[in-house]
Amino acid sequence: MAILINENTRVLVQGITGNVGAFQSEIMKVYGTNIVAGVTPGKGGLDLEGIPIYDLVEEAVHKHDVDAAISFVPARFAKDAAMEVLACAIPFLVLTTEGIPDNDVLDLLHFAELQNAIVLGPDTPGLISPGRSKLGVHPHTMFMRGPVGVVSKSGSLSYEVGRMLTLAGIGQSTVVGIGGGPIWGLSQQAALQLFEDDPETEVVVLLGEVGGKLEHDAARFITHQMNKPVVALIVGRTAPRGSQMGHAGAIIEGDGGTAESKINALKAAGAYIAKSAREIPEIIGRMGV
Amino acid sequence: MRLLEFQAKRMLAEQEIPIPNSVLIRDVSELQKIAYPVVLKAQVPAGGRSRAGAIQHVSSIAEAKATANTLLSMEVKGYAVKAVLAEEICCIEKEYYLACLSDKELNRSMIIASAAGGIDIEMTTRKSSKKLVKRHVDPLVGLQEYDIRALAKALAIADVKGFATIIKGIWRIFRHQDATLVEVNPLAQTPSGLIALDAKIVLDDKAAFRHAALYERFNAEQKAIEKKILNASEVLARDRGITYVPLDGNIGIIADGAGTGMLTLDMVYDMGQFPSNFCEMGGTAAKEVAKQAMEVVLANQRVKVLLISLIGGMTRMDQIAKGIAAYVQDHNMPVPIVARMCGTKAEVGIPILEKLGVQVFEDLEEAVKTAVRIGKS
Repeated sequence: MAILINENTRVLVQGITGNVGAFQSEIMKVYGTNIVAGVTPGKGGLDLEGIPIYDLVEEAVHKHDVDAAISFVPARFAKDAAMEVLACAIPFLVLTTEGIPDNDVLDLLHFAELQNAIVLGPDTPGLISPGRSKLGVHPHTMFMRGPVGVVSKSGSLSYEVGRMLTLAGIGQSTVVGIGGGPIWGLSQQAALQLFEDDPETEVVVLLGEVGGKLEHDAARFITHQMNKPVVALIVGRTAPRGSQMGHAGAIIEGDGGTAESKINALKAAGAYIAKSAREIPEIIGRMGV
Repeated sequence: MRLLEFQAKRMLAEQEIPIPNSVLIRDVSELQKIAYPVVLKAQVPAGGRSRAGAIQHVSSIAEAKATANTLLSMEVKGYAVKAVLAEEICCIEKEYYLACLSDKELNRSMIIASAAGGIDIEMTTRKSSKKLVKRHVDPLVGLQEYDIRALAKALAIADVKGFATIIKGIWRIFRHQDATLVEVNPLAQTPSGLIALDAKIVLDDKAAFRHAALYERFNAEQKAIEKKILNASEVLARDRGITYVPLDGNIGIIADGAGTGMLTLDMVYDMGQFPSNFCEMGGTAAKEVAKQAMEVVLANQRVKVLLISLIGGMTRMDQIAKGIAAYVQDHNMPVPIVARMCGTKAEVGIPILEKLGVQVFEDLEEAVKTAVRIGKS
């Protein structure tokens, strides 16, 4: 099963002719991702390694069945590109772009809600269902197929933990990076729900960091709605209280953003707390997974 | 970009929001032009100015000169005071809090307001969220008159017309000039109407490309007025747009992701040693950024060993290794360098580093242990 993507997922790549888009599309294709079309305005009619390129998303969906899209479009054009995907009723969009203006992100997430679409990101490495498909930039040699679901705020941390699990012989169902920016679509809690419902996932790893309060929502969800065990690692325990947590955030969030408060909330919810990435496979190993 | 108070107020005034009469002073000789009493407010981009003594009431020009001199030689929250706003004193009948920002739980813009404004707003809202009124604004519908009526009613504001001007103004700044925060605190009820006594505006730099003229003006003003007291590394980091947080130890840290960067930081502390900084290059960093990050971190003379924590996804390890090589070519190797490198194109990057004499590990813990050992010795 895995969540969100598997070997049958038919993928459209936006910005397929850019530096990053072309480089990563080739890697995805070699990995086995079923890329059926690419879109770059003005490049319609060309192809990349046999992937047909279109000027418009609507032209691509007219010719191909598309289940998911991934965007490598630069920040200033990213909202328009996302709206185009959503208007064409593609139900899942991975938005890798970093640096999209907040107002643009709010607009596109609102439209996604109206279209019943899931947006992963922005500023996300994407996701990988090892051995089946990947939509994004996860260095796939670090991952292998198995029963552990991973959801991470940070991309790099999800690679680190995937690598540790794989070295310990523990595979993953799906590894999801939800995005590093201030505003993002798919939440940690929503990812936990998907893993809870996925028959192949037996354990879920939750990777968080200081700032914001989404781990508190996740903790509530774990308490009330999850049966599967959760292993959590919160990084930035030793980071100084910074200016990132601006005045506005402080008003709304109070003291909820510290690593300590998150770790306490997750511990109280019954999650296993890892102190470092290395401890995660050890904890899961003891569960007999 | 966080605006200085006078810049924020000018943005409000451009939206026809009432603000007090004021003069921006950079030298005490300019104090002649105004009528007393006034309040003198140091122009630094930091909160808590009142408690830091950076806001003072004066009743005569003699007093104003003495006080302004003191303010202009002060350091407030790491900023040297280079300008003072001399502002008329208003007769306050009641203070409100008003802000426009995004609600990151619901992914919606919202206006928040409170009938209890003033300097203790954080404490007030922390103790009881009851006094805080939230109103979400649908981006596809926009701010409507009924939203304003509802907010006015919740705050028991009688002057709905005056209030509407203010709310519409802050909404336009938030929405059309791409602010991430527009805060008026306090919004004061005075005998002559509602007036914005203090304002904080943070612009979304990700949207700077839509507001080139605005940014040009603010940048020029801040360059002249805003003097953050920075060390050599911070100056370089700011000029190059690299995330850099100074710390007290001697192990320099550079990472290619925030998550593994923080993990590396935690590991160094857990092993009983102290990092000199936290530095993150961002997920799409290439050759030039890696070289610049090294220049930033190694500008700090206390760094005894440099620990570079790399796990390539979007970031290409061949590019980063070339950046490190370019640094070593220009500056030699002032301190031992320990690198953890794996991921995208690491098979190309690792030999480049080894050739330079960098100690390279595939395992993060091994790399951290090695750096900690050198840092301790």
